[in-house]
Formats: sequence, C-alpha cells, structure tokens
Amino acid sequence: MHNIRSKAGTVRRTLRLGVAGPVGTGKSSILATLCRELADELSMAVVTNDIYTDEDARFLRSAGVLPAERIRPVETGACPHTAIRDDVSVNLDAVEDMEDAYGPLDVILIESGGDNLTATFSPALVDAQIFCLDVAGGGDVARKGGPGISKADLLVINKTDLAPHVDVDVARMVDDARCAREGLPVLALSKKDASSVAELADWVRSLLARYRADRHTPVDPGPMAPHSHVHEGSHTHGDARP
Amino acid sequence: MTAGIGPLAALLLADGRLPVGAYVYSAGLEPAVAAGLTREEIPALLRARVRTVCVTEAAAAVLAAREAVARDPVDYGPLQRALAARTPVAPLREVGAALGRGVHRLALRLAPGHPAIAALDTAVLPGPPVLRPLRPVVTGALGAVLGLAEAELARTVVYDDLQAVASAALKLLPGDPLDSVAWVAQTASSVEEAVVEAVATSKPSDLPARSAPLIEQWALEHARTERRLFLA
Repeated sequence: MHNIRSKAGTVRRTLRLGVAGPVGTGKSSILATLCRELADELSMAVVTNDIYTDEDARFLRSAGVLPAERIRPVETGACPHTAIRDDVSVNLDAVEDMEDAYGPLDVILIESGGDNLTATFSPALVDAQIFCLDVAGGGDVARKGGPGISKADLLVINKTDLAPHVDVDVARMVDDARCAREGLPVLALSKKDASSVAELADWVRSLLARYRADRHTPVDPGPMAPHSHVHEGSHTHGDARP
Repeated sequence: MTAGIGPLAALLLADGRLPVGAYVYSAGLEPAVAAGLTREEIPALLRARVRTVCVTEAAAAVLAAREAVARDPVDYGPLQRALAARTPVAPLREVGAALGRGVHRLALRLAPGHPAIAALDTAVLPGPPVLRPLRPVVTGALGAVLGLAEAELARTVVYDDLQAVASAALKLLPGDPLDSVAWVAQTASSVEEAVVEAVATSKPSDLPARSAPLIEQWALEHARTERRLFLA
C-alpha cells in the first residue's frame, strides 16, 4: 500500500496516468496507441474501468499491444464516477497488484469508465490525466468546458480524420479548447496521422521525465471547474458560502 | 492516530459513503438475480443472509476485536483460518479478502502503527493462493482500535451486508428506493438475534458455520459470468 509520495524525495517509480472522457471518444484507442508506441521502451500496465463489461480490457488484449495479464479490468458496481474519485479503493488495489506482479513499472495507464464531461480522476489515484473528446461529439463541446476540459494535464481532441464528415472545424475546436485551458496543452489526434501520434507519445515521455525529476505536481481538476454566471464574477462551486 | 472514538465509530463504519470499495459488492444479490430471484423475494434473501452469512461474519468481527485488545502479541491467524473454513466457496473468500483490503487501507490511515492493526499481517494465509485478511477480521480489528462496543460492531457488520443487498437492488431490480429502506428496517428483530449470537461466540472453533448452499452456488456461477456490474 504505497500510494503516498512526498516532495521530499521518496517518489514512486511508476507514473500513474489516467485517461478520462465521455463514452465513445476513443479512450481505449488512446491506450492502445500509447502501448504500441511506448511498450518497447517503457515497462507498462493497464487498468480498465468498464461500467458493465470487460469490453475495454478485451479490446486492448486483442490489440496485442501488451501481454494480456498486464491489462486488468475492475468492476465498478455501476459507479464509474465513484471508482475514480470518491472511493478509488478498487482501482488502487488493481494498480498496486500490477506494481507488485510486474514491477518495476514505468507507467500504469488507468482508463475511466466512459461517462460524461464531469468525470475526472482524483489525485488519490493518478499523478496526471488525459481528458479525451472527439470531433464527432460536436465542435462546440470544447467551448462548453468542464473540469476535465479545463484542467486535465492534456486535452486530446480525437478522431480529427472524421472532421470533414461531421462538419467540424478542428482548428476552431482546438482554439476553443486552448481558450478554456489557459495555456494547458491541447492535442488534435488521429490514429491515422503519424505526427499527432508521435506528439502524444512525446507528451507522455516528457511527463514521465518531469515526474521522475519531481517537477510534476498532481492537479485535481475537481468535480466542477471555476466558471461564471451572467452578471456575476467567476466562482467555484463547493467554496464556503458567504 | 484516531483511536477510542467510541459510538461515532459505528456510524463511520456503517456509512455507505465509507471509501473502502464496498460499492462493487452486491452481497450476493446480482448472482441471485441472475439465478432468477425476483424483487418480491429480496426480503427473503435478507432474512436468509442474516441467519447464515451475517451471523458468521459478525461473530468473526467480534472475535477479532477481542483478539486485538486481549493478547500481546496479537495473532489473528486462528480466526482467519476458522472464517476461511466457513467460507467454502473460493470466489467468496476472494471477495472477502478484496473487501478486507479496502478496510485495511482505511485502518492504516486512521491508526498507523497501532499494534492491533500491524498484527493484521498474522491473518494472511500463505496459500497458494495467498488469502489476505478477510473483511470481518479487519473490521473487528479496526472496531476495537476505535473503541466500538462488541454489540455495535456486530450490528454494523450485519447492517453493512443488508444495505449492500438493498442498495444494489436499486441497480439490479429497480423500484422505489424507499422500499430498500423498509426491507432493511423489517429485519430488525433478526438482526438483534444475530448480534446476540455473535457476541456470545467465545473462540474461533465455535464460530457459527451455517451453510447457505444456494448463495454459495450462485457465487460460483457469478465468478464465471462475463457481463456483470458487481464483483459478487
């Protein structure tokens, strides 16, 4: 049970990286891509959170990107939000089991159960997280904001190759996202675009380097991002009431 | 360290929001539903669990709590073996250990270094397969450290089991959530009988061993299913 890290120096070797985002946006595909790109140079394992099946684990196993035993599904009792935020016990168990069985590991990827725009990982479970949208979900989604969109360590806008078919202007969607994220990185990704795939892998390499150097601070996007209502200043829900 | 907080401990341990991973457990309801159990039969399932599984687990928690404060060094080994022997189905032992792990993590947070918590290592059965401390053993140890009275501890263990069924019912056989509360409330007198029996248990070899063959059979079948919401 070694989920405690300190800035003083005892940093866990294994980087725990979450991938969250609405259902169908390509989280499993991002995991498969990362394993394919990085498994030769890094020791990796995957934990998937499916809501009703072990479908995602099966998909990843069948993709052949990692040995099957390094990909483990956890049941979430139909509580995918809870499993990555309010009570991360079952995911911590799976992560620790993987570290014990296959360690030392460099990276463990944790895929959230596909849910909605508000589900993000707690720093009790992950060191960093990718939030994944796709162009097919609509060009305005990035503008709508939300904790994952605003504050995840990386926002991926996936399936850019589909943009012409769904009338989405990728450049504009990326601009909207950059605007919502105040300088945090945004990556337009298509598994058919090799340079975008290389950029994704490089981002993980660079994150791992910063993590190892103790120059990465886990950030909790929170269940609700700061936002403003018409005729009011910005505020955060959950703050003490005046 | 959080120790000796008394009656508040019962509320903390019984709270469904306690972050120990119990939401992945339907206490046998999902396997039962897969075998054809209807919503109308849920109260009967609750009664059956109170008289069988719950008595054994509550008694084990009470014995763990006594061991936690009685002896130096503390040894949960005999109790863990007795409880494992009364959990004849492998998937249910695995689930008991998985749930125990969540409570163990909590215990390490609330009472790090406490000898009764550190001694939970004595409950690990080497196997193969290795069996981590079962949940009633861990809950009993934590309950003792927090200063929970035996009857309250036993009631908490039984209540937790019944609420696991009742709340899983909202997802598996949906209906009025108020029904779930009423079902649990209606078990009150049999819960108290289970509490009395649990507290009256004096040693691991006397641990009640009521067989619940259908619950065990369904658990075995559930472990082989692919589409499921709950671990068991």
